Amino acid sequence: MNTLGIGASLFRLATKQKAFIAILVMLVIMVFSGTEFYTAYNLLDMLNSTSILLILAFGVTLTIISGGCDLSIGGILVVSGILAIKLMDYMALSWAIFLAVLFGAVVGAINGFLVVHQRTEPFIITLGTGFLLTGVAQQLTNAHPVPAKNPAFMMIGNGTVHGIPNLVIITVVLFVLFFWLMRYTQFGRNLYAIGGDYEVALYSGINVIRTKWLAFVISGAAAGLAGVLLSAKLNTGSSIYGELTALVVNCGVVVGGTSFAGGIGGIPQSALGLLVFGMLDNVMNMLTITSYIQVLLKGAVIVAIIWLDCFGQKRRRETV
Amino acid sequence: METGSAEVILSIRGVSKSFPGVKALDNVSIDIARGMVHGIVGENGAGKSTLMKILSGVYQKDSGTVIFDGRQIEHVTPHQSMQSGLAIIYQELNLVNTMSVGENIFLGRFKEMKGMRGTHAAARKLLESIASKVSTTRLVSELSMSEKQMVEIAKALSFKSKLIIMDEPSSSLTAEEMVELVKIIRHLKTQGISIIYISHKLDEIFEFCDVVSVMRDGRVIDTKPKTEFSRSELITKMVGRTIENEYPPRPQAVGEVLMEVRSINTQKLHDVSFTLREGEILGFVGLVGSGRTEIVRALFGADRVKGHQVMISGKPVNIRNPKGAKDAGLGFIPEDRKLEGLVLPFSVESNISMASIDRFSRFGFIRKSLEKGIGARQVAALDIRTPSTRVPVGNLSGGNQQKCIVGRWLEISPRIFIMDEPTRGIDVGAKYEIYSLMKKIAENGGSIILISSELPEVLNMSNRVLTIFEGRITGEFDPQSTPTDTIMAAALGLAPGLAGGAT
Amino acid sequence: MNTQVINRAIKGTGSVLREYLVLVMIAVLAAITAIVEPKFVSGANLVNIMRQFGPLIMVSLGMTFVILGNFIDLSVAGTINLVAVVTISLIQPFGQIPALLMGLTLGAVCGALNSVVILTSGALTQAEALFLTFGMSTVYSAIALLYSGGTTMHFWDITKSKSVFEAIGSGSIGPISISFVIFLVLLAALWIFQSQTKEGRAIRLTGGNKTAARLAGVRIKRSIVVIYTIGGFMAGVGAIVLFSRITTAAPVIGAGYETNAILSVVVGGTTLKGGKGSVLRTVMGVLLIILMSNCLDLLGVSTYLQVAVKGAILVFAIWLDNRKQV
Repeated sequence: MNTLGIGASLFRLATKQKAFIAILVMLVIMVFSGTEFYTAYNLLDMLNSTSILLILAFGVTLTIISGGCDLSIGGILVVSGILAIKLMDYMALSWAIFLAVLFGAVVGAINGFLVVHQRTEPFIITLGTGFLLTGVAQQLTNAHPVPAKNPAFMMIGNGTVHGIPNLVIITVVLFVLFFWLMRYTQFGRNLYAIGGDYEVALYSGINVIRTKWLAFVISGAAAGLAGVLLSAKLNTGSSIYGELTALVVNCGVVVGGTSFAGGIGGIPQSALGLLVFGMLDNVMNMLTITSYIQVLLKGAVIVAIIWLDCFGQKRRRETV
Repeated sequence: METGSAEVILSIRGVSKSFPGVKALDNVSIDIARGMVHGIVGENGAGKSTLMKILSGVYQKDSGTVIFDGRQIEHVTPHQSMQSGLAIIYQELNLVNTMSVGENIFLGRFKEMKGMRGTHAAARKLLESIASKVSTTRLVSELSMSEKQMVEIAKALSFKSKLIIMDEPSSSLTAEEMVELVKIIRHLKTQGISIIYISHKLDEIFEFCDVVSVMRDGRVIDTKPKTEFSRSELITKMVGRTIENEYPPRPQAVGEVLMEVRSINTQKLHDVSFTLREGEILGFVGLVGSGRTEIVRALFGADRVKGHQVMISGKPVNIRNPKGAKDAGLGFIPEDRKLEGLVLPFSVESNISMASIDRFSRFGFIRKSLEKGIGARQVAALDIRTPSTRVPVGNLSGGNQQKCIVGRWLEISPRIFIMDEPTRGIDVGAKYEIYSLMKKIAENGGSIILISSELPEVLNMSNRVLTIFEGRITGEFDPQSTPTDTIMAAALGLAPGLAGGAT
Repeated sequence: MNTQVINRAIKGTGSVLREYLVLVMIAVLAAITAIVEPKFVSGANLVNIMRQFGPLIMVSLGMTFVILGNFIDLSVAGTINLVAVVTISLIQPFGQIPALLMGLTLGAVCGALNSVVILTSGALTQAEALFLTFGMSTVYSAIALLYSGGTTMHFWDITKSKSVFEAIGSGSIGPISISFVIFLVLLAALWIFQSQTKEGRAIRLTGGNKTAARLAGVRIKRSIVVIYTIGGFMAGVGAIVLFSRITTAAPVIGAGYETNAILSVVVGGTTLKGGKGSVLRTVMGVLLIILMSNCLDLLGVSTYLQVAVKGAILVFAIWLDNRKQV
């Protein structure tokens, strides 16, 4: 056992604190890069461009902690964004946004129903609903970007308060809200219990079905909000972000340390996990790495991280 | 059968419960008195766990009444049962490994406890009341078994339990930890809390139980104060007499040494070595979790184990996976028929032909006519009752399913047949058929390693038994000349002087 | 007793109906379309339907094996991208037959690589395989982008003979297109492999119950390598049919094939729980989707809405598949 020594403990650290190590490595590299990485402007910009992914991740984290996952968020993201822009023409902006978010929640409720009540495999059924929604989005837009006509809408996504982008502020507020929800409420703690051990949670009198279902509803609503904000940021609604976003966000959550096994992880971890992707983008841009290599590196990072997650679980299985 | 004059907290009257093909509980009646430690002893399969699961609401009883604390219990959920003051501490503990100690104690009651701080404060108080030093913020997965048990006890106390049922709590504790547990049990007793203590270990029963019930074959055989039981009486009642003709006569002609296994070492197993002769049925006797299954899994290459030596017919063989074991002439009936043995949605035929696929294929192509022949032959030879060989194996009864697995291996005529719980969950008639098959295999020169939780089965079928306790072989016996009590004692780790490797 | 028999009979008919629901749906769709549009049964339309058995059916046939083994493969999009750009670029320097062979090999290698990643990580569940193969898809796509420089390659830039690819793309023998013949040949081979060979059986046993199969001496690791290799190989075939048909290869042409292939397999009735299913069922699944598109086209439904309808069918099929098992 001890012959491996440092190697083994380093490996264990790598499987446990993947995101932290990845961020640390990037931060160190950037010290020597001679770029403008370490400027308030750049760091804020990085946060700003990661904000949508972060909001998506907050919702997804709930489903993964409860032992599921949500791959439909990509579909919800695009449809909600388009809905908000389309509805704006017929009603007040706030109503349009509200309905778009509500749409996300309704899709989440359907996902939750299929996963929790009908006991389908979450990853495959949400992949299916996501696929469906991508079709809906294409139909709504004729596969062309739809511009928003209301300048107030654009301000939501691009305005700043005291130099801090609105999106960053919204993300921070949501971070606090979700953190509180998962850490300090009965609902959040019940989700951990359900993901950690479904039977024990059931026997402890937790309403496992409703709680887990709610996780999907919230995930859907968060994706709906993310869709609205993305449209506001780009000032257009488009159907081109689909599955890829969903898979990247789910991977990012796992990168942070929330395991598909359920019961482990949290909002801060997920934030860290998605920051890895956000920072990776930023760092690669700073280092002027060509976009194709960027795709390659991202793919490699995803494979490496999921591989480590599986491998860590295999280890645990074998030592028990 | 009256237990005494003390106030009765739990009264079980005429409770029965059947599962398909098995009568798990047959008219069980027990009274538990307030503030008493009531021991329940019995072999595996005696019905203790079923009884506990009925009390806790995991199962519903078929008939009978249960009165707890003056109220009749009917269709309760496990949670309601706990809230009413009846707590069960299971062998496989009921804790969420990924959460902290404090949160586990108050699982589902976060709001009631006014958040994290309240939860931890209350949890700390409870743990202190049983003199436990476990930090409430630690993760349960990091705790030792005894610490987990303390957490379970604290959880039980948090519901103001009047009765705590402990299901074999000592099976995973060290001697020192056991001392602690006994202290707590005595402490709980002084608080007026009743305890049902389920165990195999007679030492414990005699140390601190007040009343003892013996269960066997789903029935309560006897209940009386501990002082009125002698050790030998208790063992005799646990084991019971054997019904005649329940087993076919065991094969007698045992030949040369066929297989020699040397020093299997893992985290759970310690220097396990033994031999197996031709035409011999070798029984492994040990409690669940003693390591008996791990031994055969290591031997069969099902778990990754390195460093041991296996010789078959004097030649060393290196078995790295089940395929290698099959090629070396081993067959394996795994412990869990449905999860590890069968592909349930597949047909009887393809389940039977699974291991002999090489025999009925040429150049990689399956010859269906040969496969059909194999299926039909085994169905006929083993008298597998099925409408056809094409129906899904999942439609068959337990006994017939098991026969399919036996047939699967018979088709490649293994020289060494490992059978882990071959008769679990199948009815008496089918059991006899399995026994006859075993006899036939042995008479044809095959060797069998038999693992069973049913002691009479091992003792009546085996030519030789090895007792296994805590990952070690603690004795080797001839079941025909050794009293059952002696073997049982060795399997319970009670027999000094018998410890050590067997040849 | 009698009611029991009747109940069982009803249940039996129900399960048979559910079992062959896809056939019923094909018949219903064909009937409706034929009534709405009599031209549907014309020879020209039949040829048209045959033509639609293109790249998707190839990819779906490969995916059938992955799903039979109780795994899943999202990497086919990346594999198609990579095989397409590499193969088309090899025609000029090496000639068409070597390019074809190298392209097919590349597909198989990509698939095998997936299985290596899965086996070394110890991933056992479909969910884990899903994310791993998604990552691999991104890697393959990135390599395709790097290799091609992101540009689209065209047939007309190739001066050497490319007759084989042209034949695959648009050639026909009488009324039957060559790609349909290729499909028939591959279908026959894969059907024989799946139902008549030892390895095919091993794959289904692995998919049915990994633990039981392993304990009965089935080499499940080998099965996993085989299913992904077939999946990759068939994605390669799909890529070649695809770019031959459109006579261009861009490093993004594979997008969407993974979901559509899963859709065809599941709609056909191969269960996601593994072990049960067949390449023939997948053919029915693809046929159903083709007929549906055909029907929706005739009804004037937009292509985009058709994606949504497909998605709805996918969700329904998964739900139905899950119900079957309970």
